[in-house]
Amino acid sequence: MNGYAGKILRVHLTDRKISSIPTSDYEQWVGGHGIGSALFFDLVKDKTIDGFDPANVMTLMTSPLSGTLVPGASGRTEVQAIGVQSYPIGWYTRSNFGGRFSAMLKYAGWDGIVIEGKADTPVWIDLRDDKVEIRECSLLSLWGKDTWDCQRAIWDYVVGNGSYDDWWELNGTNGGRTTQRPAVVAIGPAGEHLSRLACLIHDASNASGQGGFGAVWGSKNLKAISVIGTGSIHIHDPKALLQARLSQKEQYAFDLDNLGQIAFSTEFRCPPLPGVFWEREKQHGPQACVGCHSGCRARYESGRGNEASCMTTLFYFGFAHTNEIQYQAADLLNKYGLNAFEVTIGFQYIFMLNWLGALGPGKEIDCPLDFDDLGSLEFVEQFVKMIAYRNDGLGNECEFGDTIAEGFCRAAQKWGRLEGDEGDLKTGLLTFPHWGLPVHRNPRGQLEWGYGSILGDRDINEHCFDHLYQDPMRASNKGIPVRATAEEAVTIYTDKMVPYEGDRLMLDYSTDNMYSEHIAKFVAWHRHYTRFWKQSLLFCDWRWPDFLNVSAPQRIGSTGEAEPQFLNAVTGKNFTFLDGMELGRKIWNLDHAIWTLQGRHRDIVHFADYIYSTPLEEQYLVPGRKNGAWDYIDVTGRCIDKEKFEEFKTRFYELEGWDPATGYPTRDTLESLGLGFVADELEQNGKLGGE
Amino acid sequence: MNDKEDEKYKKTNNQISRRDFLKLTGTIVIWMGVGSCSYVIPVSGGYILVDPKKCQGCISCMLACSLVHEGVENPSLSRIQVLQNSFNKWPEDQKIEQCRQCVDPACVKACPAGALKANAEYDNVRMVDKNKCIGCGTCIRVCPYIPTRSVWNFEEAHAQICDLCANTPYHWDAAGGGPDGKQACVEVCPVGALQFTKEVPEQEGDSGYKVNLRGESWAALGYPID
Repeated sequence: MNGYAGKILRVHLTDRKISSIPTSDYEQWVGGHGIGSALFFDLVKDKTIDGFDPANVMTLMTSPLSGTLVPGASGRTEVQAIGVQSYPIGWYTRSNFGGRFSAMLKYAGWDGIVIEGKADTPVWIDLRDDKVEIRECSLLSLWGKDTWDCQRAIWDYVVGNGSYDDWWELNGTNGGRTTQRPAVVAIGPAGEHLSRLACLIHDASNASGQGGFGAVWGSKNLKAISVIGTGSIHIHDPKALLQARLSQKEQYAFDLDNLGQIAFSTEFRCPPLPGVFWEREKQHGPQACVGCHSGCRARYESGRGNEASCMTTLFYFGFAHTNEIQYQAADLLNKYGLNAFEVTIGFQYIFMLNWLGALGPGKEIDCPLDFDDLGSLEFVEQFVKMIAYRNDGLGNECEFGDTIAEGFCRAAQKWGRLEGDEGDLKTGLLTFPHWGLPVHRNPRGQLEWGYGSILGDRDINEHCFDHLYQDPMRASNKGIPVRATAEEAVTIYTDKMVPYEGDRLMLDYSTDNMYSEHIAKFVAWHRHYTRFWKQSLLFCDWRWPDFLNVSAPQRIGSTGEAEPQFLNAVTGKNFTFLDGMELGRKIWNLDHAIWTLQGRHRDIVHFADYIYSTPLEEQYLVPGRKNGAWDYIDVTGRCIDKEKFEEFKTRFYELEGWDPATGYPTRDTLESLGLGFVADELEQNGKLGGE
Repeated sequence: MNDKEDEKYKKTNNQISRRDFLKLTGTIVIWMGVGSCSYVIPVSGGYILVDPKKCQGCISCMLACSLVHEGVENPSLSRIQVLQNSFNKWPEDQKIEQCRQCVDPACVKACPAGALKANAEYDNVRMVDKNKCIGCGTCIRVCPYIPTRSVWNFEEAHAQICDLCANTPYHWDAAGGGPDGKQACVEVCPVGALQFTKEVPEQEGDSGYKVNLRGESWAALGYPID
């Protein structure tokens, strides 16, 4: 099986049983998310269980491209399970993380890991090629350690010779050897204390951020998974892979000697710049995931803020007295193992509540933080530890820490601030628009992001269409020309959006069009593309898709051609781009069936109230038609109309072949996708849509 | 060969400077130990230079190496090794360790089977003929550098070293590799942290092989170039 290792590891923590599943049993799903959802559906009989239930199954999956030279597609690992972070239902959800874990797992001979059950004492899993052991945390005093100390302790134990400079053999015989350190993914104290904001951390700052998966591990008494591998991934056509890699680099990637127009941080042609919000230390060097043609992180002379990017570098921004404190705030998130997104937006909420006089020492919401010290390292460290340890951050019992460790929506609910006319989700003081999760891109402006999130399981965090608004915004702010006119951009993008190519109105963000069947197609296309190409094959969100590329001839990027070319060079399959889109639709349908079994009904698919009532305050330039002509239009001042959103949902459900009365999948649609067994289970549970 | 002789050859290699070498006609004649055989080891026609401060740690070089040589992706088979520690301070966080194509190659001299040689067909690139390799591991032991540059291919049970892509059944370019062709690691490196040269580097210490490849364009990205 070219590209694949051939087997998936199955670990049952309760019985401490280790077995394997042939990857070929799930090969029709190709990799990553597709295999993960299929495994979950097969292994979890009762989909309504809580994420903390030992029967919750977590998968960590690679793709056939992991560990290979496919650019921006080699380093990510897809993690799936019933989550504990979303509200009010912990949806079956996903997150993924970069670095070198997926590659190392493949070299060790595994396409993925399935984790079930709960260990009776804290354990970690030690993979060395084919050899897998479940080990007690007590062996290395791991439970209680932060994620960095945990990883280093495991390195020392596995490598065992005190130095990391030379070749070492995995099992002492004349077998595999390596110079590399084990790739370890771990939870910190936050996961151990079942904070719903806890994440998984690999190396310094690769995080499987959303879903509260750190707490899921904590509930299973699982501290870490370590993998070191020395095996080979077989490639169907090595020459073709190399040729494709080099020509992709030449035609579509950055040229150091001719950088051209400044790139956005999330595009294929971006040069190797750390995607950080902070001011970079002068002495630093670039850092990339395995095989990436252009890294998006850095490591620094101070050693602080290593590998951090994006939201992790935004935490405490604007508050921290110094850059140095901000770098250390990022390190705190990583060491304690907390989701940067919710902690950062939640912190802003806490700050506002304090500013309003509602929160503080002895206030209505009794919070032990000394806001006079805001901006110091001590302040942010106490805040982080509060969430991680569910206490006051200084080692003492404290209800406030315990409350915010449950996530900020649940905290607001506990404080009586969530619902009602003056509720924080009504006024927008709590900017958590979808499923109790914080805002990323504004649903009132960036339609595909908001709709995709509310029709799915989480903040989608898929930057695929960002440049459609970032380009005109940057042009407007800096007084420079746009990369393409609205019409040019829309044409280039929609030409690639098979099978809906040619429908330009898919990218008309105007208010007149925002509830139309064209936007429904836009959202559906996005769900399908990401479920397969980005979450199953693991093309990285910061480099793909490559829609409009100013370095390329006619500014036409490589998406639609490059992805299948790489897949086929590695695996020998004959996949077309359309094949992948169709498989993405299948995977999306499977996920939706799982959510339906979990209790999804169209009646609960709604944004937080403020999205319907509070106008978009910021300038938001997006492509759209005005008086019949394409332009970048400013949609500031609009809300989502609740009734029209209901109509949109109906159009979306009809497009996807689901019952518009309920949003439930239908037998016809599922059977047409080869998911008749899914229809059976829905029917048994009274959740099958009428035709 | 015994440990004392190993040490002697390690020392000899480090002490020969580029200047001394260039005084001669371009070859060095060394008498091999007790055996009274002697042979000429011409200098290699090429060398890889690295800039660890420019390296982004993606290990694309390692993946390219095993891909062109063995047709697989496997860092353990790569003849160039990048070692890194995510938690270390830059620039101590990573190292690039490439084969030096030594002027006085301990590995070549040590090979008892004549498998590791300067191959005249490829401008004297030091390379292993895997069909002759008996798997004794001597070349691995005598390499004076850490990690040892001679790599044990445990899948096929023979040693292998960087051959500047001379013997690469999966080379993408019709002209192939070797000192007159293209090296996969150099071509694939996304940031240009590897460079090929025909000039013999300073043999003593690291300065000949670990160089500064960062220029104004690198500075334009905000990275230091000193």
